[in-house]
Amino acid sequence: MLSHHISKLLRRSYSRAISNCRDFTSTNVETDPTKRDPAPFFFNKEIQQCLETLTTLDYNKVFRTRKDGYKQKPPEFKFLTDEELEEARKAAQYRAKKYLQMPPVVKERLEPSEPLCEDPALQDHDTVKYVFTDITYGLKDRQRSIVVREPGGTLRHAFWKERDRMIQTFLPKPERKLQKPKMFEDEYMKDLLNRNEYEFILDRACVQFEPDDPDYKAITREVYEHINAERHFDVLRSTRHFGPMVFHLVWTSNIDNLLYEMIETNRIEDAALLIRLYHMIHPTTKSAVEQCEHTDDVDFIMHYVRLESLKKDKIQKLLQSYKELQREREIVAEGIKQAHGISSENVNINK
Amino acid sequence: MPRLPLHCSSGTGVISPFSKAIRLARYGCTNRPFYHIVVIDVKKGERKPPIEQVGVYDPIPNMHNEKLVSFNFERIQHWIAKGAQVSTPVADLLGLAGFLPVHPRTYMRAWRNRRTVEKCS
Repeated sequence: MLSHHISKLLRRSYSRAISNCRDFTSTNVETDPTKRDPAPFFFNKEIQQCLETLTTLDYNKVFRTRKDGYKQKPPEFKFLTDEELEEARKAAQYRAKKYLQMPPVVKERLEPSEPLCEDPALQDHDTVKYVFTDITYGLKDRQRSIVVREPGGTLRHAFWKERDRMIQTFLPKPERKLQKPKMFEDEYMKDLLNRNEYEFILDRACVQFEPDDPDYKAITREVYEHINAERHFDVLRSTRHFGPMVFHLVWTSNIDNLLYEMIETNRIEDAALLIRLYHMIHPTTKSAVEQCEHTDDVDFIMHYVRLESLKKDKIQKLLQSYKELQREREIVAEGIKQAHGISSENVNINK
Repeated sequence: MPRLPLHCSSGTGVISPFSKAIRLARYGCTNRPFYHIVVIDVKKGERKPPIEQVGVYDPIPNMHNEKLVSFNFERIQHWIAKGAQVSTPVADLLGLAGFLPVHPRTYMRAWRNRRTVEKCS
């Protein structure tokens, strides 16, 4: 009976510690705009939709040969009816969507601060810490209570580092290492970044860390910044990390390079969507407050570039050249149509 | 010494009508103790198959200077409710974990340690 009550108390106090942390974060949001929580924005349905569209599903890239240790199946050739083909396509679409599931972007976790109880009579009961892990079946990792008894007699919740270590010790996850792999250290990271192994780094980080781990945040930030500086967006496009990268760039208001690249590769619709995403996340910026009268994508981008972009001249020039190119293309297309004698309008005019 | 038979970590599940105890069973090898916390009949020997294993205890500190203990609190609660006895070392650990009240022996050990430290200094 007693034990039952105490364990209940333990669990409740643990949940209270977590809720305290939450309270702390919520007060932080109001006072400090730079440290606001990205999770409600990231999980917003519209924003998710935007990020998915920006990722651009490319089947060749999604179903490329992956060096992930699984045995590859040889390709099969089949005769299919139309319905079967439709079904197979749908199955492939489903699988592709699974491959492109984005890792979440959430706020950094906070250490539990308050000790559970302090007992000065237990001073020097041992020279080392005791770490107690609850291995009850069927609990989620976040619900597991892990407590530490210090040599000084204090009982406290384990720090996140200790928690991760204990959970990996007693309930190991495949491919996750107990210690941080060497490749995430600075010198090796630099080498990997210079070799453009972005996806490898990000995949490994996803496996190794929880999404709210400060280490994960630092590593992903470094990779995204490097990609942004080198403009290697195409490496990540159509992988699961493109969405979070776009979100990070928008979150830090640093989308000029991405915008430039999108216009350069004739993705005007994507570029407009990117700016709409920017307005959704930063609704108080100049270009979001001053509504654009034009409905055309190019004008919409122009409107943003004029008001906010740091690289105005470059992007404006690029947009101008894009417009001219588009006009020329139209002329050529019309010419071809005329040559084929397809165009109905021209025929009418000629008459 | 012959190699100890390692029983199924969930235990044999064979429950006798006799009274039970939650206690430590020494596994590991020479000079390297390692304990399983098991539920077993009071009168059975240490090496006999347990009814259930409810945790482990590693008495040698690891590289981070920690002794690792794990408990399946749900099952321990169940067995204590059924009237299983708890041996002193296990009660000691459960007391340190905050599951049971701190065992008097822990207080005694702390007090003795403090006394020796004072004497030495």
